[in-house]
Amino acid sequence: MDQQSPVITIRGATITFPGVRALDGVDFRLYPGEIHALMGENGAGKSTLIKALTGVYQLDSGEISIEGTPVRFTNTSQSQAAGISTVYQEVNLVGNLTVAENVMLGHEPRVGPFINWRAMRKAAQDNLRRLHLDIDPGSQLSSHVIGVQQLCAIARATSTAAKVLILDEPTSSLDRAEVEELFSIMRELKAAGVAILFVSHFLEQVYEIADRITVLRNGGLVGEWLLSDLPRFELISHMVGKSADELNAIAGQVKSEDLTRLEDEVPLAQAIGLGRRQMIEPFDLELYEGEVVGLVGLLGSGRTELARLLYGADRPDSGELKLKGQPVKLFSPRGSLRKQVAYSTEDRKREGVVGDLTVRENIALALQARRGPFRPIPKKELDAIVETFMTSLDIHPANPDLPIKNLSGGNQQKVLLARWLATAPELLILDEPLRGIDVGTKAEIQRIITDLAHQGMSIVFISSELEEILRVCHRIAIMRDRHKIAEVANSETLVSAQIFETIASGGRTS
Amino acid sequence: MRTRAARFTRILSRLTDRRFLPVLGTLLTLVIMLILGQIFFSTRRGGFISMPLFSNLLVDNSYLLLLAVGMTFVILTGGIDLSVGAVVALVGLVIARLLTSGVPLIPTLILAVLIGTSCGVLIGVMVQVFGIQPFIASLAVMFLARGLANIVSVISIGITIPANGRTDLYPGQAQFAALASWSIKFGEGRGIWRITAPMIIAFTVITIAFLVLHYTRFGRTVYGLGQGDGGTAVQRMGLRPDISKITVYAVSGTCAGIAGLLFALYTRSGYCLSGLGMELDAIAAVVIGGTLLAGGSGFVLGSVCGVFVYGLIQVLNARWGLQSWWAKVFIGAVLLVFVLLQRALTIQRTRRKQAALVMADAIDPEFR
Repeated sequence: MDQQSPVITIRGATITFPGVRALDGVDFRLYPGEIHALMGENGAGKSTLIKALTGVYQLDSGEISIEGTPVRFTNTSQSQAAGISTVYQEVNLVGNLTVAENVMLGHEPRVGPFINWRAMRKAAQDNLRRLHLDIDPGSQLSSHVIGVQQLCAIARATSTAAKVLILDEPTSSLDRAEVEELFSIMRELKAAGVAILFVSHFLEQVYEIADRITVLRNGGLVGEWLLSDLPRFELISHMVGKSADELNAIAGQVKSEDLTRLEDEVPLAQAIGLGRRQMIEPFDLELYEGEVVGLVGLLGSGRTELARLLYGADRPDSGELKLKGQPVKLFSPRGSLRKQVAYSTEDRKREGVVGDLTVRENIALALQARRGPFRPIPKKELDAIVETFMTSLDIHPANPDLPIKNLSGGNQQKVLLARWLATAPELLILDEPLRGIDVGTKAEIQRIITDLAHQGMSIVFISSELEEILRVCHRIAIMRDRHKIAEVANSETLVSAQIFETIASGGRTS
Repeated sequence: MRTRAARFTRILSRLTDRRFLPVLGTLLTLVIMLILGQIFFSTRRGGFISMPLFSNLLVDNSYLLLLAVGMTFVILTGGIDLSVGAVVALVGLVIARLLTSGVPLIPTLILAVLIGTSCGVLIGVMVQVFGIQPFIASLAVMFLARGLANIVSVISIGITIPANGRTDLYPGQAQFAALASWSIKFGEGRGIWRITAPMIIAFTVITIAFLVLHYTRFGRTVYGLGQGDGGTAVQRMGLRPDISKITVYAVSGTCAGIAGLLFALYTRSGYCLSGLGMELDAIAAVVIGGTLLAGGSGFVLGSVCGVFVYGLIQVLNARWGLQSWWAKVFIGAVLLVFVLLQRALTIQRTRRKQAALVMADAIDPEFR
């Protein structure tokens, strides 16, 4: 492979956004006929590098050359003309057009200036069949599920005779069989001499398919390895920038402790038959000081709905909620905030961060809301709070005056956490705090959660990833079909299979 | 045979696609109105549904057809163009003023249409380059055009064959008057109907618009822009959202320019207060024609149907002998029903999108 010359060479690529150096002197090369994995945490610069390659962003300095010729793309059609096709992380297709158009538009068969629909549908169908997808190319894209849409995006990328194929998280919405299909096509293309750049969060998949790995961290290049030379754990430590021992220490810390509860201790929060029609069936739940309670269940099983009732975002129509033994009468987020209950939403983008405000303002938001509009937080006090949380949560970049939208997902999540911690809550509800966050930050946030519980905070932790729940929680409530079906204490012996069984059987066995 | 059957079901499923639902609704409304007319207003000498009816509908609404076609392009991208009514007035007055001062016909018409185009480009540049809301950008151009129309003349200028017979001094004026009264006649007696120049122009524009929207890359980009992601997806597909967006407003402006010409032919004059609220009539027709105001879904032919519904309401209203404002009441009611229908459709659409997301999450490999 090495005697060939690379099809893409990048030297010293640098891209700066206001306040953030998204790429910092990155070198990268891609050979024909290889599958090259680009790895890194969120905010490491993977997506930025890809967008530079496809002409969405322009380099501030450095150079990109294709087959030895320096190029400068100012729009996406130029990079496509140069033989680079891309499947982006988010499905970037047009839902209200037909499948055929989404696969073919931009290189559609035409008669003069007019689209030849029949030929376009035919070509699209051929491309889809290669992915073993037999859908009507004349149907509307949005009428298909996300997985199929993702396959259409892949069909689009493979429909041109591309020299370079870039796949940015193509597997995130595919099921196992579809992933296999994709991999076999990737192997075919690789055999045909196409260079493939592959980005994925799933290490398994990377180790299954890739030949070579380039690791980025904080916008800089860490290194390039042949896959066979790089064991998994080493890869993770390169991505995170921490040694293997440190990682082990974080991961193993939590589970070993045991919680002793006094007989007559009053629970911090107690739900008795709390429920709301069409959202969640009545449930009982007790939350004690210093305890982390996990909520597990499939998406739509009522986890979020339960949390919203606890927080007062929705009004229950049955049962009652007691905080420190006192029944709650008025359900509203502001009331809860005053009673020191905080809820960090699962939908970070829509309900969480306010993109155009700075990090400082985002942190101050909840605290200010509790004080009311007429008592601004004294600047000194605010600075101190912001300073404390930015260092203790290690928010990066450490500039509180940046708009939060310029931060990576993981750091946005930390800012959200800081927002609620700033209100010094006694009960903290975290809905999917680790979604879309990389390994290193995950471990860090898990550590923070454990520390907070140690200090006496009661925490409700919602996550789709069972391993996380098992690592952090003392007690686990299992949800299914808007029912709380079981509650188990976490112990050394509890494994995820048991929880799955409970979910599958509807809670009868436990 | 089996393949033919399969093909048939496929075509059938495409026709009953939910995209066509609103337009089918419009067609149904149209048919119901025609049937009502046929029942109540047919006489022994002729039915309500007749060539003269359609001919008159087209004569009275040709300019509205043009505006609706242009507006369809804009609304498909999720934008709006409020300037078209004022542009109609401005263009009409410019035509009247130029012709009555002796400028030949052809240069006048070209200039007239170009005025419309440049108004559109102005809005397009404001929207695309400076990121101004289409509502505000076109509102500004609306005031601009209306103001300019008043500067051209505050009184109505008639375009007739010069009374003193000096057609040599005012060649354009005479030609224009001739064009306005030109028609091909069919039938005789009460069944007489005609094809006029505005009809031919309107149908040419509708045909071109249809071809452009459905058979060119630009047309498909227009639909793509309407999905409301600021053109990201379209751009990533290697198309040109920026240029397309400006072009859309240029198309609307050009259509408004031609509509101004048609309105001048219809009224044989130019007046600074004509076309007041006409942009809203056009928007109403487009929405009745099944185009989503949020963008991304709709058809030129739907808008044409919308204009027919609009015109037919007025005809029926007149035949019933009701005061003309009742027509507004009915149009308002129809519009309301259609907007509610659209709302129901979009709600269903987002529900399905959410369902798709939930499914995607359920097949998350973490859970296998």
